[in-house]
Amino acid sequence: MAQIPNLDNSPLNLKSLREQSQRDLVKILKDIRGKKCLVIEPKLGGSLSLIIQTSLLKEYGIELRHLSAEPVQTDFTKVVYLIPSQRDLMKFISSHVHSDISKGLQREYYIYFVPRREIQCERILEEEKVHHLITIGEYPLYVVPLDEDILSFELDLAYKECQVDGDTGSLWHIAKAIHKLESSFGVIPNVRAKGKASVLVTDILNRMQTEEPVNSSDMAVPEINTLILIDREVDMVTPMCSQLTYEGLLDEFLRIHNGSVELDSSIMGVQQEGKKIKVPLNSSDKLFKEIRDLNFEVVVQVLRQKATSMKQDYTEMTTTNQTVSELKDFVKKLNSLPEMTRHINLAQHLSTFTSKPSFLAKLDMEHTIVEASSYDICFEYIEEMIQKQESLINVLRLLILFSVTNSGLPKKHFDYLRRELLHSYGFEHMATLNNLEKAGLFKRQESKSNWLTVKRALQLVVEDTDTANPNDIAYVFSGYAPLSIRLVQHAVRSGWRPMEEILKLLPGPHTETKRGGFTSSQSFDALQGASSGLDKIADGRRSLVLVVFVGGVTFAEISALRFLSAQEGMAYDLIIGTTKIINGHSLVETFFESFG
Amino acid sequence: MANVSVAAEWQLLYNRYYRKPELYPMRWKHVDLSRNKVACAPFGGPIAVIRDDSKIVQLYSESALRKLRIFASSGVLISDTVWKHPGGRLIGMSWTEDQTLICIVQDGTVYRYNVHAELIEPNVSLGKECFEQNVVECVFWGNGVVCLTEGGLLFCIPDFKVMRPCQLAETGAEDLPNCMVVVEPKYTVSGNVEVLAGIGDGILTVDEDGVHRVEGEAVQGPVQKMVVSWDGKYLAIFTHDGRILVTDINFEGVLLEYNCESALPPEQLAWCGLDSVLLYWDDTPLLMVGPRGDPLHYFYDEPLVLIPECDGVRILSNTSMDFLQRVPDSTVSIFKIGSTSPAALLYDALDHFDRRSAKADENLRLIRSSLPEAVEACIDAAGHEFDVSRQRTLLRAASYGQAFCSNFQRDRIQEMCKTLRVLNAVRDPEIAILLSINQYKLLTPSVLIARLINAHHHLLALRISEYVGMNQEVVIMHWACSKITASLAIPDASLLEILLDKLKLCRGISYAAVAAHADKNGRRKLAAMLVEHEPRSSKQVPLLLSIGEEDAALIKATESGDTDLVYLVLFHIWKKRPPLEFFGMIQARPLPRDLFISYARCYKHEFLKDFFLSTGQLQEVAFLLWKESWELGKNPMASKGSPLHGPRIKLIEKAQHLFSETKEHTFEFKAAEEHAKLLRIQHELEVITKQAIFVDSSISDTIRTCIVLGNHRAAMKVKTEFKVSEKRWYWLKVFALATIRDWDALEKFSKEKRPPIGYRPFVEACIDADEKGEALKYIPKLADPRERAEAYARIGMAKEAADAASQAKDGELLGRLKLTFAQNAAASSLFDTLRDRLSFQGVS
Repeated sequence: MAQIPNLDNSPLNLKSLREQSQRDLVKILKDIRGKKCLVIEPKLGGSLSLIIQTSLLKEYGIELRHLSAEPVQTDFTKVVYLIPSQRDLMKFISSHVHSDISKGLQREYYIYFVPRREIQCERILEEEKVHHLITIGEYPLYVVPLDEDILSFELDLAYKECQVDGDTGSLWHIAKAIHKLESSFGVIPNVRAKGKASVLVTDILNRMQTEEPVNSSDMAVPEINTLILIDREVDMVTPMCSQLTYEGLLDEFLRIHNGSVELDSSIMGVQQEGKKIKVPLNSSDKLFKEIRDLNFEVVVQVLRQKATSMKQDYTEMTTTNQTVSELKDFVKKLNSLPEMTRHINLAQHLSTFTSKPSFLAKLDMEHTIVEASSYDICFEYIEEMIQKQESLINVLRLLILFSVTNSGLPKKHFDYLRRELLHSYGFEHMATLNNLEKAGLFKRQESKSNWLTVKRALQLVVEDTDTANPNDIAYVFSGYAPLSIRLVQHAVRSGWRPMEEILKLLPGPHTETKRGGFTSSQSFDALQGASSGLDKIADGRRSLVLVVFVGGVTFAEISALRFLSAQEGMAYDLIIGTTKIINGHSLVETFFESFG
Repeated sequence: MANVSVAAEWQLLYNRYYRKPELYPMRWKHVDLSRNKVACAPFGGPIAVIRDDSKIVQLYSESALRKLRIFASSGVLISDTVWKHPGGRLIGMSWTEDQTLICIVQDGTVYRYNVHAELIEPNVSLGKECFEQNVVECVFWGNGVVCLTEGGLLFCIPDFKVMRPCQLAETGAEDLPNCMVVVEPKYTVSGNVEVLAGIGDGILTVDEDGVHRVEGEAVQGPVQKMVVSWDGKYLAIFTHDGRILVTDINFEGVLLEYNCESALPPEQLAWCGLDSVLLYWDDTPLLMVGPRGDPLHYFYDEPLVLIPECDGVRILSNTSMDFLQRVPDSTVSIFKIGSTSPAALLYDALDHFDRRSAKADENLRLIRSSLPEAVEACIDAAGHEFDVSRQRTLLRAASYGQAFCSNFQRDRIQEMCKTLRVLNAVRDPEIAILLSINQYKLLTPSVLIARLINAHHHLLALRISEYVGMNQEVVIMHWACSKITASLAIPDASLLEILLDKLKLCRGISYAAVAAHADKNGRRKLAAMLVEHEPRSSKQVPLLLSIGEEDAALIKATESGDTDLVYLVLFHIWKKRPPLEFFGMIQARPLPRDLFISYARCYKHEFLKDFFLSTGQLQEVAFLLWKESWELGKNPMASKGSPLHGPRIKLIEKAQHLFSETKEHTFEFKAAEEHAKLLRIQHELEVITKQAIFVDSSISDTIRTCIVLGNHRAAMKVKTEFKVSEKRWYWLKVFALATIRDWDALEKFSKEKRPPIGYRPFVEACIDADEKGEALKYIPKLADPRERAEAYARIGMAKEAADAASQAKDGELLGRLKLTFAQNAAASSLFDTLRDRLSFQGVS
């Protein structure tokens, strides 16, 4: 199965987006005549693997390399760098050029910036005195379709850059990406944003619409009806909790990168010592599509049922006489055998993690913190984790969860835990703590927390969750309903107005705007309920809501959204846009300062 | 009948009709073409007139100074200017495709004028040789010129847009050519200019690379005059013995040959369309020669200028502008005397219809089957007509016929009306761009509009572009720029109002471009006011910078949310202003400030420190120093030996000192202090143990390492130095002892005193090390029966676990434990059974 997802079932024509990106890339490569060495920044290479098969690139006379500090080894005279516009990569390139010059190598250099050239990068090239030797271009890749309902802007550091450095470049990128979507699918008439960054994105988006209007008269009805923007800052509780859906757990323990996990081949039952294999995880795998969003407990049951029924079929097959069509059905079922085996292997591997007492204790503690009823127990648990020098990231996840739900810690505790952290993990983490404090994730308490009010008002903690037959999104965390998705649930159903009071308790402003040429024809509350005829597109398709998470989204949240969209009485298909798929681990990691 | 009178004005040349309507009576006064050099632009363009200084003429009551005058093709004066250029006689004068007047004087200087007779700087020279040798002849085409010097050298400007002269190959002939023509680059195989020069008794082809002699049946003896057809395919040659020949441009075959009565070459030789050639001597009638049949003569008693067009020739005399063209087929079919073509009958039917005659119906019945083509012919003929009332009649005939056609493209008439309205509008004598419909199609509407705006007919251009559905941006933009140039006396505010009033007509127009023009005209304030209205920040910001509005640029860039634009402004100001001023500008502006800090953090540490110092953010400087100390530590030179630890500690102490300056940073201050102290101690430990394993590990790790190495005194010392709490100390020591599996020491440690956090660390350490026996030593000592129960459970002692749980009187716990046991057992076997179920024989 290919890593590039099949997008045929997407509610939007994402395939055309991807094909455009393919064409753009191929054009760049074709326009540079002759053989060339293509140097790709590794992370970007990962994203590109969702756009085009690297084997296809080789047809254009290309030798592929990954960007690193080492000089490029190639016999070709043309070196083409394909890199994101990041300052820190410039020193690699300028050192490559300098090293080539000192070796007397004469090469032609091209840099294609993704998604656009930026003056801060070029400035560094100028200061390094290599700018004039390089031909500079752009590869406008703003969006990568991860799956039929997920778009990623591939901005790994967006949250940290916004919150800590005050660098809002990623917000411009997001707005641009949405604006580009609008030029293909029409101006989105309803926009609802919550959180500072979300509102900024809306502002920039509106600005772009005035500066370079999308010609809405070309399109009869915009394909996307509503855009909901949620700033990650609004809900930092959810990503810090351990995800309990199948896909979420896979990401927590094995890390899903660009729609696949890499693990030892022995786990997948392939006996090749020490070899890693890549397992693609996307909706092209029918079984995965069925179980990815389920609570892991249920996944085990589903797999068991499937295996049992197959065994039964097999027994019948060998004991009784079958008609040809029955045989055919059986063979068809056998075709799903590789998928079954794959997921049974993965599930077993996961259960080695989930059955550990430490994991269960951690879940327990997360719930205790989210319940926010026993401060001291939580405090002591975290203190002990630090003293036992447990993995710093795990400590910080709980600590952030703790600090956010309490809107900070009293000064005494704050300073005490900080000191314990520095003593246990080293003073270099002063920078990490400083970053977390700037981002408001681990800070001194300045006002009373309103988490309890929010929790109660939005019914974030749901008792007696039936994970097998869920009736609420809380199933994804076995009892905790992710705040972000609760907000989306309300926003889709009735807009912000009925819940203004609660929104005010959460960080950042919220806005609700009407745009484009459709303002006059639709009433403000047209989105309410499924009954409104205007929401239905004439050809019977359901209208579409684009939910954008500024700062990243977890798989568990995506599962919760899919659950919402599958509910009866839900008139919308949801499509998700995110700066990056994150989990607590990867998000906390971005706050670590790298030295040197 | 009316039809007869139309055809009565035609002349027949072999089987083709020609007509020569007068387009305009010339409105100029006292212009005698014979006294002047005249340059007429094709496509009904303007006429430049200047007194010919190569002729001796009598001056009447006029100044001795020559005047260059530019007229519209109806003789309306557009502009004039006094000619006082040095450089000798004016040799060549011609209009380019974009209606620039090119004037070349003897010394090879090229002067350029626009239609407003304004000199376009800079003047260009054809080069040193031209300057020394004098230019004697110029041959122009739409976009270039070839000049001949007295010395027989050929120079060429292949593209007036680039104005880069080059020399063509030398002919090597002693005599100057009798005549020359140019084959335009777009018609040559090589894509370069080719000159055909009649030298001696043959023709040479000259281009940049070489010279070839032309062979062909048409070339027999000296050639006196040549002209190339407008499509570059044919050549007309006037020979020494008075014959006119037409040949293919490659000299293959003779298509026409006619013996003129004069052996003197004609003064002007011109193609009329592609069908015939005109010859003009100033004392005989104008002669038109076609491929067959007797030539035609046109009588004029005035000097003439022939202006070749794609579908005919305009004939300019002192008093009129005529257009000689072959009568279009559709017109012939309608108006030819005695024509019974369907179109003629349709036209006739309309006439009857207007007179309420029943014959109209009869006519229509006659042509029923071919009605669509009749309608089409009427429409086409209307297009070719210059007379408005005849256009109208023809269109009415078409419309009348259309009413009886079921399947005719209805918009044809509408389209033709549209086109004719445009053509009639520009044919107005004041505008005087007289285009035939074919010329209009060749020229394209956008070029026509460009010409109109160049001639400052903005309103008409605007109306036309609106009418034909083209973008009006070009027109409005040009208008705005011209308005600014022309309105030096209008104050900024009122001019702005005038401009905005029009600019708003066009959505998406670039205010920045207009502002840039204002700035170029020295109206910086107006530019600033205009750029304020530019919606696209990416255009607005660079312009603001270029007009020195740095503050505004910074604000606009920040508002746009485009960080790249903010950086653009930042780098600009950074380069231009002294640091303190730069700091002052960004300090109070969060986004620019943060972006600057973020950039400088990567690449300009020292400069960033200056910034923080100037803004009093000492703690930030301290953090920077602290970070530097780490970078120093990463330096590979520092890992071996320790001389670099000194500087590191110094940096940290500097940071510590800076933290002490502010009250809010006592925590950081203490941390820095401890860090410095830790490094010192670690350094000492490395010296004592002779192992480089301490530096840069944490305090806890240092304690563990000490214990693992068996150096309990050192561990104790670190503990007291850093006031490590008893709790942490117990965890660290227990884990360290478990790491080296020193179970006796662990037991001894447990008995030192009652552990401050109970025996849980001991139990955990033993269980983690998989030493059930050791764990059992401590489990009973756990105070809380629940903890005991869970500990037993973890080492698989279900009964003891249950006992402890029941002791705790905690039913919930008991239940959970049972469940865990059951689940664990189930879980472990579950997957085995799953796989068993799937492993069919023969299938895997």
